[in-house]
Amino acid sequence: MTAIELARPISVVPAAAHDVRARRDLFLALGLTAVIVTLLAWNITGFPSASDDEGTYLAQAWAVQHGRGLAHYTYWYDHPPLAWIQLAGLSWIPAALAPGLTAVAAGRIAMLPVQAVGLLLVYLVSRRVGMPRWAASLALITYGLSPLYLTMGRQIYLDSFAVVWMLGALALALSPRKHLWHFAAAGGAAAVAVLSKETIAVVLPAVLLALWQNAARSSTRPWAFGAFVSGLVLVGCFYPLYAVLRGELFPGAGHVSLIGAWQFQLGSRSGSGSVFASGSGASSLLHSWLYYDAVILIAGAVASFAGLVLRQVRPVALAGAILVLVALRPGGYLPAMYVVQVLPFFAIAIAGVIAAVVAALPPVHVRWRWAVLAPAVLLTVAVIAPRWYVGDRRALGTNDNAPYAQAAAYLNEQLPGSRGGTVVVDDVLWLDCVDAGYPPDKVLWFYKVDLDSAVAGRLPGGWRDVDYIVSTPAMRQDPNSLPTVRTLLTNSTVIASFGPQDGRIEIRRVDKGATA
Amino acid sequence: MVFVSVILSAFAAVTLWWTMHAWRTPETLAATRFAPPDGEQHLTFSLLVPARHEQAVLEHTVQRLLRSTHEAFEIIIIVGHDDPATAEVADRVAATAPGRILVVTDHNLVKNKPRALNTALPYARGDVVGVFDAEDQVHPELLEHVDHAFRATGADVVQGGVQLINFHSSWYSLHNCLEYFFWFRSRLHLHAKKGFIPLGGNTVFVRTDVLRRANGWDGTCLAEDCDLGVRLSSRGSKVVVAYDSTIVTREETPHSLHGLLKQRTRWHQGFLQVLRKGEWRRLPTLRQRLLARYTLAGPFLQAFSGVVIPVGVAIALWANLPVLVALFTFLPVLPMAATLLFQVIGLRDFGKEYDLRIRWHHYARLVLGAFPYALVLATAALRAVWREYTGRRNWELTSHVGAHLNEAVPA
Repeated sequence: MTAIELARPISVVPAAAHDVRARRDLFLALGLTAVIVTLLAWNITGFPSASDDEGTYLAQAWAVQHGRGLAHYTYWYDHPPLAWIQLAGLSWIPAALAPGLTAVAAGRIAMLPVQAVGLLLVYLVSRRVGMPRWAASLALITYGLSPLYLTMGRQIYLDSFAVVWMLGALALALSPRKHLWHFAAAGGAAAVAVLSKETIAVVLPAVLLALWQNAARSSTRPWAFGAFVSGLVLVGCFYPLYAVLRGELFPGAGHVSLIGAWQFQLGSRSGSGSVFASGSGASSLLHSWLYYDAVILIAGAVASFAGLVLRQVRPVALAGAILVLVALRPGGYLPAMYVVQVLPFFAIAIAGVIAAVVAALPPVHVRWRWAVLAPAVLLTVAVIAPRWYVGDRRALGTNDNAPYAQAAAYLNEQLPGSRGGTVVVDDVLWLDCVDAGYPPDKVLWFYKVDLDSAVAGRLPGGWRDVDYIVSTPAMRQDPNSLPTVRTLLTNSTVIASFGPQDGRIEIRRVDKGATA
Repeated sequence: MVFVSVILSAFAAVTLWWTMHAWRTPETLAATRFAPPDGEQHLTFSLLVPARHEQAVLEHTVQRLLRSTHEAFEIIIIVGHDDPATAEVADRVAATAPGRILVVTDHNLVKNKPRALNTALPYARGDVVGVFDAEDQVHPELLEHVDHAFRATGADVVQGGVQLINFHSSWYSLHNCLEYFFWFRSRLHLHAKKGFIPLGGNTVFVRTDVLRRANGWDGTCLAEDCDLGVRLSSRGSKVVVAYDSTIVTREETPHSLHGLLKQRTRWHQGFLQVLRKGEWRRLPTLRQRLLARYTLAGPFLQAFSGVVIPVGVAIALWANLPVLVALFTFLPVLPMAATLLFQVIGLRDFGKEYDLRIRWHHYARLVLGAFPYALVLATAALRAVWREYTGRRNWELTSHVGAHLNEAVPA
């Protein structure tokens, strides 16, 4: 029994040839991804230096994993929690592969599968917007070899999860079969992306554009959008629902709230200034990115706007262009890991624009075509290769985290007498202390001591209830805003110290007899 | 609670998946249409029109059937011996087209639709028997399309589309129309593809020899259409579904809520009877048997979940459940809300396909009426179970006033 089939689609390519091509794509993408992931993994523990944020997310993943809720301190809806829930789900990988590492180093290993998926998706999205195989490979290589990616792709950032899910949403929205449930899944993936890191939501118009283009001249377009919206809204609504069920949707006395957190993020959070004003936070951040890799940032920004005129590349270019405009808006807050979301779209836009230019060259004059192409390729390689070589070699060879590893080892082995005592540390070392057996509620994040009333309540005797403080550059950065931490630093003596002068990590015993 | 939620959401998700079958890809959508006829006419048709207390609409229906562009068909009107008003109308219409129309009187003491059809079956001379209800508005070109569909596919059964049109009549008619839209536009095609199909009550065409071999309809079954489909499926007959909004048969919704309730009770009870008869056990593959069991029990699951899900959500919101458990109770709401969203899009599509003006308040009515309608369905399901349990298996007739005839429909 069957329905009448009128328009049985006639496959232009015989099925066997189609399989061969699909397999060739798969092997190519897998091979390139394997190379890039190897580069990412090489020296992943040594470079770049562990950042506070990495420790924060890891600690939150630890809290999820151990059933302590969404964070080990009061969860205040600062970010949606899906990314560190995923991180918690991946934590078995480093535990199985390299049990001896410090917490942040081990956590980075859990990012490798995430990055592998991201690289494959860059290839897939490139192919699905209609780029030839070489251009898709170019997108993957541009993305993967950029020193900026080799640096930030190793770190534990929520943005890495978010951008992978958003690339997934894009790939699903571009489904060649135009299947209704692929579109619903695209909506779901976009929702997971936003719930991994809320800032990725600005890229949603790009996914909608991809969906719009893909469903063009199709009888099922309204249904496609219905499917996408239901996926997006229905998965996305679980987050506000969580807040509602806990009675924490609206701001009120004595509890945190989702809307209150949004008000803070959108309104009260001090901006990092304009990227054009020299000396502003945003400007110095931009310069630090440019220091790692100016090539992908400049070429990508140009390609994003140029790509807007090319129908095929337009969705990806739109994503890149939106991200550029958001970064350039004056007075907004620009986080350090913002660029993680930007890179894959830039890479695809660059490859897409190059592919369009190559395709536009008249193919009749083969010799002339190569006469244009060959010098252009050589010149580009000559300009880019030395820069990327320097950047990538730095990523593969430098060990910036030795002091942290030594401090962690000291805390684990040399300071057993302190267990049971109260230790104040930065976010990076927090999980190392907990892993070493210190009771979690006796290890305190330094800024919570001053900023979280619940933590301050655990120290009825004030700073004298603290036994040790581990001083790190992050802690010393802004001493005036944290009075208790400053008091602890002045009234303590160094018992061990690691690393060079400017990045020194000191284990300090608090002198309880001192008069503050 | 978590367990119930997971089961309910799985059920709702599967139902949604199947309901959306036709729109999965542009190709599946294209495959659900009738092939355009080739202009040739090879088959002869006997069109059975059982009429009981249908004097108000019967004449109009038969007149439209007579306008059919197909050359070779006869109309057999079946009237009850105790229903002189309808018989009078039938005789009057028959006189206008002698040779085309035959009036058969049903002398069965207990009257119902399958018995009326069985009464007429020996008189049928055509290659193909088609069934229409007395209130149906049949498109003149339908027979030509069906003729072609039989020949093009070698089918034993062709099920054409039926559509309720008077969506504006009441709050429930909107939902009722959309149910038909999704059923004929989409879901039935899936059943045809999987080889298990509960046929519709009209615009269904069966090869006369196949029908006679199957001993016609089951005179004791309340859902004789569903039963016939199940029996023919089990015997391996080839069933084809073809839908085209331009030649779909138009019907009206029951004109009162009570009428809808009675109709739905009858269907549900009929489905239960078919389930209990167990003909579906003869289906060749396990998947088909599972699909059969699921489809026949479906109305009850649907009725149950339509009520339980909102209640569960209310409990989650007001009772002090642990947050994770409460989140789980919202799981079935996902497919349910998605279904509602697709219904909104379906309403838009429905309006476009049938050239009807859908206003914003119709959408509002659709959303607001979803839960009350689920309540009606649940009531009907409970009533069906109760009647079957207490052995009350008589036929509750739905009466028709002809609300759909007022629609300006170009012939």
